Amino acid sequence: MNKLVMNFLVTEGYVDAAEKFRLESGTEPDIDLATITDRMAVKKAVQSGNVEDAIEKVNDLNPEILDTNPQLFFHLQQQRLIELIRNGKVEEALEFAQEELAPRGEENQSFLEELEKTVALLAFEDVSNCPVGELLDISQRLKTASEVNAAILTSQSHEKDPKLPSLLKMLIWAQNQLDEKAAYPRINDLSTAKLEDPAV
Amino acid sequence: MTNNNSGSKNEEEVGSYFLEVARGAHKKKEEMEMEEVMEDEESPTELNTINSSGGFLVVSTDKMSVKYTSVNLHGHDVGVVQANKPAPVKRLVYYFEIYVKDSGAKGQIAIGFTTDNFKMRRQPGWEPHSCGYHGDDGLLYRGQGKGETFGPTYTANDTVGAGINYASHEFFFTKNGRVVGTVYNDVKGSLFPTIAVHSQNEEVHVNFGQKPFAFDLEDFEKRERMKQQTTVEKISLPPNVGHGIVRSYLLHYGYEETLNSFDMASKTTVPPVHIAQENGFDEQDIMYALNERKTLRQLIKNGEIDAALGKLHDWYPQIVQDDKSATCFLLHCQKFIELVRVGSLEEAVKYGRIQLAKFFGLAGFEDFVQDCVALLAYEQPQESSLGYLLEDSQREVVADAVNAMILSMNPNLKDSHGCLQSCLERLLRQLTACCLERRSLNGDQGEAFYLHRVLNIGYGILYRDSLALQ
Repeated sequence: MNKLVMNFLVTEGYVDAAEKFRLESGTEPDIDLATITDRMAVKKAVQSGNVEDAIEKVNDLNPEILDTNPQLFFHLQQQRLIELIRNGKVEEALEFAQEELAPRGEENQSFLEELEKTVALLAFEDVSNCPVGELLDISQRLKTASEVNAAILTSQSHEKDPKLPSLLKMLIWAQNQLDEKAAYPRINDLSTAKLEDPAV
Repeated sequence: MTNNNSGSKNEEEVGSYFLEVARGAHKKKEEMEMEEVMEDEESPTELNTINSSGGFLVVSTDKMSVKYTSVNLHGHDVGVVQANKPAPVKRLVYYFEIYVKDSGAKGQIAIGFTTDNFKMRRQPGWEPHSCGYHGDDGLLYRGQGKGETFGPTYTANDTVGAGINYASHEFFFTKNGRVVGTVYNDVKGSLFPTIAVHSQNEEVHVNFGQKPFAFDLEDFEKRERMKQQTTVEKISLPPNVGHGIVRSYLLHYGYEETLNSFDMASKTTVPPVHIAQENGFDEQDIMYALNERKTLRQLIKNGEIDAALGKLHDWYPQIVQDDKSATCFLLHCQKFIELVRVGSLEEAVKYGRIQLAKFFGLAGFEDFVQDCVALLAYEQPQESSLGYLLEDSQREVVADAVNAMILSMNPNLKDSHGCLQSCLERLLRQLTACCLERRSLNGDQGEAFYLHRVLNIGYGILYRDSLALQ
């Protein structure tokens, strides 16, 4: 059980808590805790809009991650373009789009569509009200950040998601399946794990 | 005063629960292995020569091929042969193949599954409770007089396979390594791999997996598992429910420092993780005496049992006032174990005489105390069959027992069962129970669920044992 909790702390990047948990419970983490710090630094960089910094950090960590993952690299570059547009650096943004992103778009149709969508941001004076405005939303940063996070974990041959949520989903699934066949005490609220007697 | 009474009953319950855990600890591993051995079912290995329709066909001496030697005249002189064993059910998929060596006069070859009491002179699929894919017309027969359009015909030099997918409750058939179709499996009872030949010189070789299949079974299984994994992954969870459960685990077991770090970090992540703090009474129950529980856990974890006993005397005299309680027993045993660990055998003997001797002859205590004392008999107790007592997990059981006892002291305790296990453990227990129940309602078909495997192995295989239960 401790292992499951450790896995959660490690995968979600709670480096301090993982270290404390190692001491308090004697559970060894399944990954070098130092690598969590690096991973979280990359994630934070993307989350706060420092994409260039993040790319550099990823390459320091393991240059293969971006080499072998063109989609991730594209999304990071796209995020970089979004940040340039956000900061009103129109010229720089255009130059960057043409030089860095367009060639990649030629290789891949879906990249091209995403690029066009991103560049469309430039066409609107009031981006908060435009159809592609969601790209500027914080959720886009988070999306990119979690993509990088997952790629780093995979490169460390660690699963990219913690096991706990999967187990919870499995529980919901198993209960749903069982519902069709039997009446049994059910857990309806995961956060309390109370067994509730079947409605008669 | 009435309150006190109910309290002591509760204490007893908590104590004996952990005593059971301690006693069961060494059995667990063996049982798990046993369980897995039991899952090893026999699989078909060869053709059954006794129950085959002799006279019309000849089974080769290695029992791996059949040949129709007569001239067929009507529908009741089919040469049918079943495998020597029914298809095993406790797995995701069962599969076997045939190779058509010679399609004979008419190519009336069939492959499929039949039950134990199948009429051995009829094609599989012609009779109820059977299913067969026929070579001459490519039709699928399953108990009705007429076949259904299904796949291509097959003839000499073709490899044809038949399988049961226990996850989807389907039969599937393959030709030369490709699935040609699937059909719902509504046959109850054991199913025997079955082949039939029905015209002169037809010859068929069977492969029960001794040789590589033309069909990529592994890949098929992988896809099946992925399918279910995807279904499960699509289920959405309430936001941050995982965080909440981890947090309550840390609270429950008194991992105070981890908890503080976790809370700190949760607040600073982008976006901050909001865990519903007001998630009701449970939270209050497990907040109780966090610092004391933390201290005691650390002491026990480090083997400082005397110090732990001392603190308990100061903080919770009720817990240690009855020296014959299960909690005291576990603490005394642990103290004894710690003495053995550091090699103070004489002191251990002395301690045992004072503190453990009184438990001899007491049901529930005796076997465990015997195990403890028996440690003295070994020069290297770690290597002995009692080595489990010296593992960290044993300390943990004792720490958990003390932790639960303190939780049960909470005067505002709302749910006394909540002391025994954290929310996380209750969830996982329910998961195992549901999966097992589901499987048994399915006639034990499909792969078994082993939580310990799921917890120990990495992603990908995670679902393998658990999801294929349908």
